[in-house]
Amino acid sequence: MSPERDVERDTRAERDTRSEPNYDDHFDAIVVGAGLAGSAAALTMADRDLEVLLIERGSSPGAKNVFGGVLYTPTIRELTDFETAPLERYVSERRFSMLSQDDETAVSLRPGAWHTEPHNDSYTVLRGDFDEWFAEQAVEKGTTLVTETTVTGLVRDGGRIVGVETDRPDGTIRAPYVVLAEGGNSLVSEGANLKSTETRENVAVAVKEVLEFPDTDDAIEDRFRLLEDAGASYHYFGEGAVGDAFGGGFIYTNEDTISVGVAYRIEDAVAANQSPEATLNAFKTHPAVAPLVRDARTVEYAAKTIPEGGAESVPELVHDGAAIVGDAAGLVLNNGVHLEGTNMAVESGYQAGRTIAEAAAAGRTDAGALASYPTALENSFVMKNLEHYDWLMTKAEADRELLFETLPRAFASAGTEYFRMDRDPKRVHEASAKRTVLDAVGGWVGAAKLAFRYRKVVT
Amino acid sequence: MSVQPQIPPVENESLEDRLYTVRYDDPGDSHLDVKVADVCATCETNDCVKVCPANVWREGDDGVPTIAYENCLECSSCRFACTYDNVVWEYPKTGGGVTFKHG
Repeated sequence: MSPERDVERDTRAERDTRSEPNYDDHFDAIVVGAGLAGSAAALTMADRDLEVLLIERGSSPGAKNVFGGVLYTPTIRELTDFETAPLERYVSERRFSMLSQDDETAVSLRPGAWHTEPHNDSYTVLRGDFDEWFAEQAVEKGTTLVTETTVTGLVRDGGRIVGVETDRPDGTIRAPYVVLAEGGNSLVSEGANLKSTETRENVAVAVKEVLEFPDTDDAIEDRFRLLEDAGASYHYFGEGAVGDAFGGGFIYTNEDTISVGVAYRIEDAVAANQSPEATLNAFKTHPAVAPLVRDARTVEYAAKTIPEGGAESVPELVHDGAAIVGDAAGLVLNNGVHLEGTNMAVESGYQAGRTIAEAAAAGRTDAGALASYPTALENSFVMKNLEHYDWLMTKAEADRELLFETLPRAFASAGTEYFRMDRDPKRVHEASAKRTVLDAVGGWVGAAKLAFRYRKVVT
Repeated sequence: MSVQPQIPPVENESLEDRLYTVRYDDPGDSHLDVKVADVCATCETNDCVKVCPANVWREGDDGVPTIAYENCLECSSCRFACTYDNVVWEYPKTGGGVTFKHG
């Protein structure tokens, strides 16, 4: 027996003398964090007759949570009575804009099919409402939820994780399994050496405002061309969105409010000459954005960090007695076109919960018995998508001046030239417009190289 | 950003007013600290100040950052930004700190 284990035995003996309440052995599993990943795990385990304790540090589930604005729901629909979910609007339009300082060049998609249920499983939600509802679904399956309780560390027996320390009096709670769903700021996982602190190149800072239009009826429907509960998802990149940083801006329509924000890498945020708040202000005053947000009042200002390291940054997902899910596991896909995380959070919570229930039935807690969780994730859209786009982020980072500054300017300028009204023949303008774009990418040779570099996008 | 008459005015509320939109329950003491004060005294970049969206990390008179933890939005950017790994970050205790209504 190692000396380290002796010490832990002593600590445990000391704890055993403490007064009630003593929850030890009452729960089969403890989930740290009642966000989407945590509640999905709790719900899944409770549904399989495990006694689950779901611990949330906020005053209610969602109180500490911030996200961009779109929830992707294929798994959540399977797990819950989704009809009762507090949704804002379904996404009926996705729009992608390149912004230079003064110009916008955009592509918009409004497929008719998105108006029909299940609306491509894409809805805007507000996390304060949604996370509370989702945790309630886990409670209805038998989960015990405690709020205003912060997990401060893990309890080990030898190498095995056997419970959590909390900031409550007599705050040690033991259970054979711990699911870490604590989000991207994963102090517990890091403190227990289950993962390393992510580098600032791989983490984005996001600031967001929820805005309302107090003096204007139908402002959202009119400005975003929406009817009833249809909604819009607008994405912006280029120097007009977040300067020369690697990231972008967004606007999502909620029922009575809109969410406006920017997200860009911390590495770039410290290099920029302005605070994230100032970057958000500048984005809101861009000529393409200002008409959408004018006369609005701030209902809420929020900030969050996003783990954007991709597949390479995902830590070991299972340990003896523990599994890591959601943002804590770095399960976010942010490549400019796809901005996903909520679907991965729910899927990882579900797969981890399912695996733990199977391991519990077999009476095992070792990492080997939990291996079907990472395997299931590897075989699911979660890791497949993350791995598919890891190369893209690396290439895009190398090409960022071209992608975020040169090309947005070139496309705007080419568009202006293509549609120029004067007495020259169209042929002259077309040739000039083509030359502008070709020059930006380094001529035909540059265009060929660029096409080769990003060939996987279309192949 | 160039000034164009056709851009409608956008009233950006002050940071103070924006921070006022979120509820903050003071847990009593700071959940933020620095590990070694001398490191901050010699740090010339103050990346914690540059990245903070809530003006919690502020440049002090002597150029050394000070912490006004009461408005922290708990995004944790400071923790990742500090290249000296000198930020102590704890979750505010027993439900304290920021509460987002919408998120």
